[in-house]
Amino acid sequence: MAVSVDEAVSTRPARDRTPLARRFGGRGRSVLEVALLTVLAVVMLFPVLWMIETSIKENRDVYAIPAKFFDFQVTLDHFKDVFVASGGGRSTLSAAFLNSVVVAGASTALATVLGVPAAWAYSRFAVKAKKDQLFFILSTRFMPPVVVVIPIFLMYRQVGLIDTKLGLILIYAAFNVPFTIWMMKGFVDEVPAEYEDAAMLDGYTRLQAFWRFTLPLLLPGIAATAVFALIFSWNEFVFAIFLTSSDSVRTAPPAIAGLIGGTTVDWGLVAAASVVFALPVLVFAYLVRKHLVAGVTLGAVRR
Amino acid sequence: MRYPKRRGRLSVPGRKVGLATAAILLATTVAACGGGQNDSAPKAPATIPELTKDPLTLSFIWFDWPPAHALEDFANAEYAKERPNVTVKVKTVPNANWHDAMFTQFAAHKTDFDIPILDSQHIGEAVTNGNILDITDFVRQNIDVEAYNPYLLAAYGQFPQAETGKRDENASLYGLPLLGDTWTMIYRKDLIGDKPPQTWDEMISVAGKCQADNPGVSGLAFHQANGSDAAAVTYNTVNGVYGGNLWNPKTRKIDGVLNDAAGHEAMDVLVNKMKPLTAKGSGNWFIDEVNAAVAQGKACIAFNWIAASGGLLDPKQSTLGTTREEILGKLGFAALPSQKTNLVPLGGMGMHVSAYSPEANQAEALNFMKWFEQADIQKKWAAAGGVPSRTDALESPEFLNAAPFNQVYTDSVPRMRDMWNVPEYARLVDIENTNVNAALNGAKTPKEALDDIAKEQQSVLDAGSGKGGGGL
Amino acid sequence: MSDSAPLTSDQPGQVASATPPAPGRSRRLSDRGLAVAFTSPALLLLLAMSVFPLLWALYLSFTDYSATRGGQADFVGFGNYTAILASEQVHLRALTTLIYVVGAVTLQTVLGFAIAYLISRRTHGRGLLTTLFLVPMMLSPVVVGLFWRFMLDAQFGVINSMLGSLGLGQVEWLTGQRTALISLILVDTWQWTPFIMLIALAGLTAVPKYLYEAASIDRASEWFRFRTITLPLVWPLLLIAVLFRAIEAFRLFDLVYILTSGGPGVSTETLSFHVYKVAFLGFNTGTASAYGILMVLVVIVLTQLYLRYLNKLKED
Repeated sequence: MAVSVDEAVSTRPARDRTPLARRFGGRGRSVLEVALLTVLAVVMLFPVLWMIETSIKENRDVYAIPAKFFDFQVTLDHFKDVFVASGGGRSTLSAAFLNSVVVAGASTALATVLGVPAAWAYSRFAVKAKKDQLFFILSTRFMPPVVVVIPIFLMYRQVGLIDTKLGLILIYAAFNVPFTIWMMKGFVDEVPAEYEDAAMLDGYTRLQAFWRFTLPLLLPGIAATAVFALIFSWNEFVFAIFLTSSDSVRTAPPAIAGLIGGTTVDWGLVAAASVVFALPVLVFAYLVRKHLVAGVTLGAVRR
Repeated sequence: MRYPKRRGRLSVPGRKVGLATAAILLATTVAACGGGQNDSAPKAPATIPELTKDPLTLSFIWFDWPPAHALEDFANAEYAKERPNVTVKVKTVPNANWHDAMFTQFAAHKTDFDIPILDSQHIGEAVTNGNILDITDFVRQNIDVEAYNPYLLAAYGQFPQAETGKRDENASLYGLPLLGDTWTMIYRKDLIGDKPPQTWDEMISVAGKCQADNPGVSGLAFHQANGSDAAAVTYNTVNGVYGGNLWNPKTRKIDGVLNDAAGHEAMDVLVNKMKPLTAKGSGNWFIDEVNAAVAQGKACIAFNWIAASGGLLDPKQSTLGTTREEILGKLGFAALPSQKTNLVPLGGMGMHVSAYSPEANQAEALNFMKWFEQADIQKKWAAAGGVPSRTDALESPEFLNAAPFNQVYTDSVPRMRDMWNVPEYARLVDIENTNVNAALNGAKTPKEALDDIAKEQQSVLDAGSGKGGGGL
Repeated sequence: MSDSAPLTSDQPGQVASATPPAPGRSRRLSDRGLAVAFTSPALLLLLAMSVFPLLWALYLSFTDYSATRGGQADFVGFGNYTAILASEQVHLRALTTLIYVVGAVTLQTVLGFAIAYLISRRTHGRGLLTTLFLVPMMLSPVVVGLFWRFMLDAQFGVINSMLGSLGLGQVEWLTGQRTALISLILVDTWQWTPFIMLIALAGLTAVPKYLYEAASIDRASEWFRFRTITLPLVWPLLLIAVLFRAIEAFRLFDLVYILTSGGPGVSTETLSFHVYKVAFLGFNTGTASAYGILMVLVVIVLTQLYLRYLNKLKED
């Protein structure tokens, strides 16, 4: 089975530590370890906390020296500015968020629809030069986006996909398909092929067997894979900035980057926009946290 | 936990087939786009064609800053009176992405804007590639060229660009002024007194004294970043003031011209006299960081673009006062000090017409330009927060009273100098930016940096711009 | 996700397998149909969006084509390649990238493993801790870059403000020639240490308990147990994590674009950033394509070598 965070969390019992404790006067060492972990956690989380704090500060306090940690006026104006334009009406940022939802959602769905069946086929059937094909599929992800963006740009120019959501969806899907295939192949490998064989003996076709018996077992894996695809397309910046330009297409990362480089930087707004933008991904990630490990390891971790 | 797998003799479409397909696709598409194209700019009609009565959106593209929003509001309020079926949309991109965003669309031969707002130096690249319309005949028929300082028309519209301060009557025009701009000196009246320094040397010594007298406040704040044209404009300004030249346009020489004695003196002043008076870590500052330093009361004297200075008067962003008047009691705005010359950098942008826009939109764009350049509209634009270009508007009370730094602009118009206006502009400015930035941050000595700029820029000019090789 | 599957069953494969299966040849046929139907859409997308652009770039890399200037593209043979390989500017960026990749990946491997090790020794709150540590990894590089730029600002940044309260001087995080690259490494480390941690945690949890039990019966020292049991078992996994991170770091662009835009001077310009400038400032498309192809080649060759080494390690 693929290792999940919860398993990682629960499998090693405390008794493992007892002999140690006996030998090293464990309590002191344990305290040291907890202290170290706390320090590391504070260091890793401080920027996030600071971002949240900045998002509720007045702009005058944002620049205060020495920095104000606690005694500042709390305001929710920045969050309002994220969604409402200064003259009323919808802000361009909120339009960008909406574009992000459409682009990330559609490209994730497309990558899943194309990737899951392919993963199943690669897992179940002896495909010619399977290893080569799989490495080739993975290697398409090695390309630096800045490099790919040049020919993609030329290609899109020919077919009129520049500055369209469809263009972004296709390129994101293409970047996510290799990952989906690799990760899902790991999950499919874990589902015994015998299930399908048994179903086929009962008169189902191979496709029906896949559809009725294997697919339901794969759902958790699909969800985890989809979250990784979602994170990629949600956060992607390079293609977005070079392939889109109009407000009705541009996704959130370039829109947030556009908040600086004017005449004054409204850091409160930047922080609020970042918080709003990060939330959906964090929520999704939390929901499928059990399968995240399998995700980052492309299904390579198995016991 | 491995399970035996069913084995069949299967294969998916082999890579060979895929490669062959791709190769065929490649061949056909390359053939399709490889056709030569006319490199000269297409001509706009001399008179404005009949305008449509259907609803039409006239799109601009600019970078995201207050004048962009001011333009959209102004145009929708005023232009709609004449053309109720037209909506004006000013699309904005991040400043750092401005050139790339416009020119990638030009490269695509399909633009989602009708009026690109090009920086004066972008014109050469756009004209050479045939991206914008030649509006010479249109201007002759519809625009009163006598109403402008000739250099403004030359800077925002003409290519090849004329010598400083002159306009070639016979040269082709590709744009009209939209927003004028130059640097203003921003000084703290409460710290250095009401009278601004008159020479560059005096300015440096006043800043030095102010920094020594006021701990925590640095003497100077100016653009040093390596993005956009930040550090390059700073060096060009000092270079001009100290009598240097960026290049010799006739012989296309940079090496030996830029890095002559005056050029080296300017770089020395910038790095060894001005930089020590700036805040620590200010080596990546651009417009907004300089504004923040002023608003936070951390700089005695600062330099910034006029069109970007409006935010300084906003009490919500400032610690200098709780009202606009209180802030104005502390901040003074003056034209740049002079030294060997009185040159100031030319900023601002012109309006141009995309060659890839539908004809109806191009006609509307021309009509907008004609409308925009009228005397009373220019005054209204001034009152709305814009910086006009017509001399009568520049001298009108509507403009001069609209903001405390507007007088600075009017005074600076005859003193302006632009950068090289050549198709290779983007690369030239990048070379200068990175090297000046390196000198300012101690990564190169001033002399080394200036010589590198001259050498590298010269090689870009010499290589010509016709082809896509080189460019490293 | 549930509505995604019916789409796939529209594939032609369904037709082949719609009839009830008979054992023997016909089932194999329908299997073949299925395999083709299931893998070809994905492969077609990859061909169109990855392989085809790459081939196009390969073609352009032998020409002097420019995306904006148009005109006929003339073949220049290996001219672009030799120009790149001989260019001192490129060597400089390669060195910067190398320092960055080695620095960042080393730092996050050490840190990530340490955190994973500490977490794996906790009994309570491991799930919560792990989830919290993962947050940086989920953020967009844009958000990360912008916000660190704000925090690292020498004048108004919170980091220098805290250093100031401790009586330490201001550090020019983003404008010093050396510190800027270090800052880049630190920010990347902040964002990607969780990735290594997650994989290391998976490896640590997968170490069979009985090995530890056996060792504790033998009264083996803690360090001995770590060195002889934990490390050898986690090592291969960690090496895969290092591979992924190194590939990602090698093509870093967005963080540089936002945090330093390559400054001061060009001291934080990575190879990717340089390609961007060649491609979009000068529109030297031919050169940029060759540059990109070279980068892809480097990644693929190094990856192959590394994977071979990894397999050898596994066999031993």
